[in-house]
Amino acid sequence: MINPVVHITHLSLQYAHHVVLDQLNWQILPGEHWLIGGKSGSGKSSLGKALAGLEKTSGDMQFFFSESSSLPARALYVSNWYQFTNLEGDRNFYYQQRYNKQQRNDTLTVYAELMHYSKEENLAFEEVEKYLSLFDFIDFKNTQLIELSSGEHKKLQLIRALWLKPQLLIIDEPYTGLDKASRDKLNRFLEELVEAGVHLVLITNDENIPRCINRFAEIENGQIKRLPSIHHLSKEEMRKQKPLPYFLQQEAKEAADVLVHMENIHVRYGEKEVLKNISWTVRKGEKWLLQGHNGSGKSTLLSLINGDHPQAYANEIHLFGKKRGSGESIWDIKARLGIVSPELHWYFDKTAKVWQAIASGIYDSIGLFRQLSYEQQQKVTQLLDFFELTADKDRLLTSLPLGKQRLVLLARTIIKNPSLLILDEPCQGLDHAQTEHFNTVVDELCSFGKTLIYVGHYETQLPSCLDNKIVLEKGAVKTIQKIVEQTTAIL
Amino acid sequence: MANYFNTLPLREKLNQLGVAEFMDISEFADGVSALKGKKIVIVGCGAQGLNQGLNLRDSGLDVSYALRKEAIDQKRDSWKNATNNNFTVGTYEELIPTADLVSNLTPDKQHSAVIDAVMPLMKEGATLSYSHGFNIVEEGKQIRKDITVIMVAPKCPGSEVRAEYLRGFGVPTLIAVHPENDPQGKGLAEAKAYCVGTGGHKAGVLRSSFVAEVKSDLMGEQTILCGLLQTGSILSFDKMVEKGIEPGYASKLVQYGVEVITEALKQGGITAMMDRLSNVAKIKAFEVSEELKTIMRPLFQKHQDDIMSGEFSRTMMEDWANGDKNLLAWRAATGETAFEKTPAGDVKIGEQEYFDHAVFMVSYIKAGVELAFETMVEAGIKPESAYYESLHETPLIANTIARKKLFEMNRVISDTAEYGCYLFDHACKPLLADFMKTVDTDIIGKNYNEGKDGAVDNQELIAVNDAIRNHPVEKVGAVLRKAMTAMKAIKTA
Ligand SMILES: NC(=O)c1ccc[n+]([C@@H]2O[C@H](COP(=O)([O-])OP(=O)(O)OC[C@H]3O[C@@H](n4cnc5c(N)ncnc54)[C@H](OP(=O)(O)O)[C@@H]3O)[C@@H](O)[C@H]2O)c1
Repeated sequence: MINPVVHITHLSLQYAHHVVLDQLNWQILPGEHWLIGGKSGSGKSSLGKALAGLEKTSGDMQFFFSESSSLPARALYVSNWYQFTNLEGDRNFYYQQRYNKQQRNDTLTVYAELMHYSKEENLAFEEVEKYLSLFDFIDFKNTQLIELSSGEHKKLQLIRALWLKPQLLIIDEPYTGLDKASRDKLNRFLEELVEAGVHLVLITNDENIPRCINRFAEIENGQIKRLPSIHHLSKEEMRKQKPLPYFLQQEAKEAADVLVHMENIHVRYGEKEVLKNISWTVRKGEKWLLQGHNGSGKSTLLSLINGDHPQAYANEIHLFGKKRGSGESIWDIKARLGIVSPELHWYFDKTAKVWQAIASGIYDSIGLFRQLSYEQQQKVTQLLDFFELTADKDRLLTSLPLGKQRLVLLARTIIKNPSLLILDEPCQGLDHAQTEHFNTVVDELCSFGKTLIYVGHYETQLPSCLDNKIVLEKGAVKTIQKIVEQTTAIL
Repeated sequence: MANYFNTLPLREKLNQLGVAEFMDISEFADGVSALKGKKIVIVGCGAQGLNQGLNLRDSGLDVSYALRKEAIDQKRDSWKNATNNNFTVGTYEELIPTADLVSNLTPDKQHSAVIDAVMPLMKEGATLSYSHGFNIVEEGKQIRKDITVIMVAPKCPGSEVRAEYLRGFGVPTLIAVHPENDPQGKGLAEAKAYCVGTGGHKAGVLRSSFVAEVKSDLMGEQTILCGLLQTGSILSFDKMVEKGIEPGYASKLVQYGVEVITEALKQGGITAMMDRLSNVAKIKAFEVSEELKTIMRPLFQKHQDDIMSGEFSRTMMEDWANGDKNLLAWRAATGETAFEKTPAGDVKIGEQEYFDHAVFMVSYIKAGVELAFETMVEAGIKPESAYYESLHETPLIANTIARKKLFEMNRVISDTAEYGCYLFDHACKPLLADFMKTVDTDIIGKNYNEGKDGAVDNQELIAVNDAIRNHPVEKVGAVLRKAMTAMKAIKTA
């Protein structure tokens, strides 16, 4: 009989009164590479963490790592949500921080971080170069961690894992935030790792997985349930469509005809030019798709519109008919637009309850600092109901499954019924059904005269209302065009 | 130059010390309009300068930076801070004459020199703003009579001023107008507008005076905020090691413990901090703190006296003139303490453990906060001012210790605070020597509750709770904290 790599018996895990894993039995045999999928909230991430010893569990978990292998005999879990610390171990970051330049370094550079890691894990520093170059990360060596976008952070985490090559590698949502090219590269690397003797566990519902994955499962009632193929994973139920709350069926008041007008925009950090010569006009009612690879400058472009980027003051930008830097405050701007982005989500107040998170949208604050009027409370209630979040309203935002968290942030951003909606990869980390649901809501919202800017990588997963498209490449406009026939034209 | 405070008749001294009015948010309804369209020139682009400027600009105001010529020529950090964020930067000659409001955000030690260079260039009727009143009060700097002099002092480090603003909130702020320099009567309106521009109005604003701000700020920073935390950290650590507690554990318990303990203080005052202890431990902590208060009261009074008489600033300014000889020597000595040199051990300490194993720390912090508050109020400072400069700031300073111990604390705080901190520490340790002989690991290092059945006498507990809850610092604190609703959750390392 062959020894398993991992042998788990009666593994149980519960948070407070919520049973997540219940007497789970599982074996990973040599040559097996698993995909764990299924519904959000089913316990897949918990199982991943438990495998790496990061959860307090009961039951038995044995590892039979190869002694002859040169790879580190351990299990590594790469989390879906990565939090770094600044030099002093503090975590009071805000999402706009990477645009505010301060001479005092608050976080390590990518290079210093990798150096530190190589010492800690006893890795040869030369070997990381390969991964850096293949993920187009060479230019980032001197970048501070705080300056990376969420997609870039994901790459950095993956680089660290690929470099370490642990005998058991568990990756939670490996593809979140990666563009198409990076996903393909990642899959090739994963195949290489497997050939070198790594055992893989991927936690995802994504279908574009490396060929080496040969076992499929999901968690049902706290137990592992083996499935014949990826197509057998259970899907989230489609939600019943409810009518939008009445206040959102009213067209947002907007006097300006041109909401965004930019002329020859440049954004530089020292030598590095992040945006080059961009001109772009967004008129009232238009629905834009904004695309580009990781690092092409999309988030920076949006931060200029959202009032988050100090370099907006040095550029020719008109928002809602008023030139930036002509006496408006960023709160005047934010009051008229709503934004959801991975960074906003990432740095969101970790102590906020669901209803507080939604209510804070009224004031554009991260966390709620004021009392609500009766009318405002009504809006919160209606949104909770519309998004089927009423039962969760007193839970911490961070304790919800990712898909629900995104809905909360969408609710937060529309509570003031803004005339411009900016959705920067709002469906990152959501599965197909959740994405579809999210986009249907977006389509409906936008049918009441809203203007939209939507960032999404996957052409199949977009709202259908989009009618214009701008694509960035290396900080410059690559194409800018009308979308003629809806959706099919952009496939 | 004569100490401004000392030139005042007693009545006026008390008058100015007694300015403390908590302002309602409705008083800020005019927003930034008093400064709208006016030219704001900030001198210095360091921690406060940069972050206040970023906020003011994001609030729709016109901000640029005047830096000394060397800083521009050598492209120093201050120059980079300003230019990388697309601010206009120029020399004093280029920018000051255009300014409607000049904000002096250079280090306090440099204020006299900076004002001497800047004032002749300022236009008739302009406004000069400070974030700390030392220069006006202690150095007695005379400002041209046509100039309006105001103060907008955020009670937080610059990085927090920015972070809280972008979260849509702000940090508590003191504002003041110098009564000798308000020729047009526009001082208050401009101070309020500046405060709105930095976001301070959302987190609670205290109308103060230059005198009240300086005298209370000095007292707070050298006693409870820095001095007492330094002494407490060192004494606790040394005691644990002496009694055989593992040094790595002791180091961690102190370094992160001050932060965890004062987090409770921040959210719910001394009452909340004491309520984290079991009933037996709370009674013990109360007794210990009463004893500590009796021993340390004369020292707190001496500090307050020296601040009021100007003796403190006189000797400190002598040290400035002497190339900071004392300051540098004391700083070096702090770097050599065993606490500083022992890294926090790789042990897990639970959040509650930081309280249960450090009853002494809790008692000591309680004693310090109450003493600083009582002493200030006795000296004529209003409870609101005294609260900000004692209880409110303690957690902020404790955070810096959690980051990199006393070195970090002394790096982040001003030179003035650091100087006072060492004075306090040097006097306090010998004062507590006898007392410390009686201290054992039950109140520092080990769980106080262990081996006790937890029983207490009802009457005794009622009396202790009563004394804690009805202390004046708790009364004023409850009101002021309500205005600062956004409290972060407790974090543990
Ligand atoms: N730090 C706090 O937590 C805090 C809180 C409230 C109020 N304050 C007050 O804010 C003010 C500024 O403090 P800070 O902590 O922001 O200071 P800081 O970070 O040390 O910055 C000082 C700035 O002033 C410039 N500077 C230094 N010496 C100068 C000189 N002789 N002439 C002209 N410029 C000079 C420096 O630039 P160059 O050296 O490049 O010229 C630097 O940009 C002080 O009054 C302080 O009391 C501070």
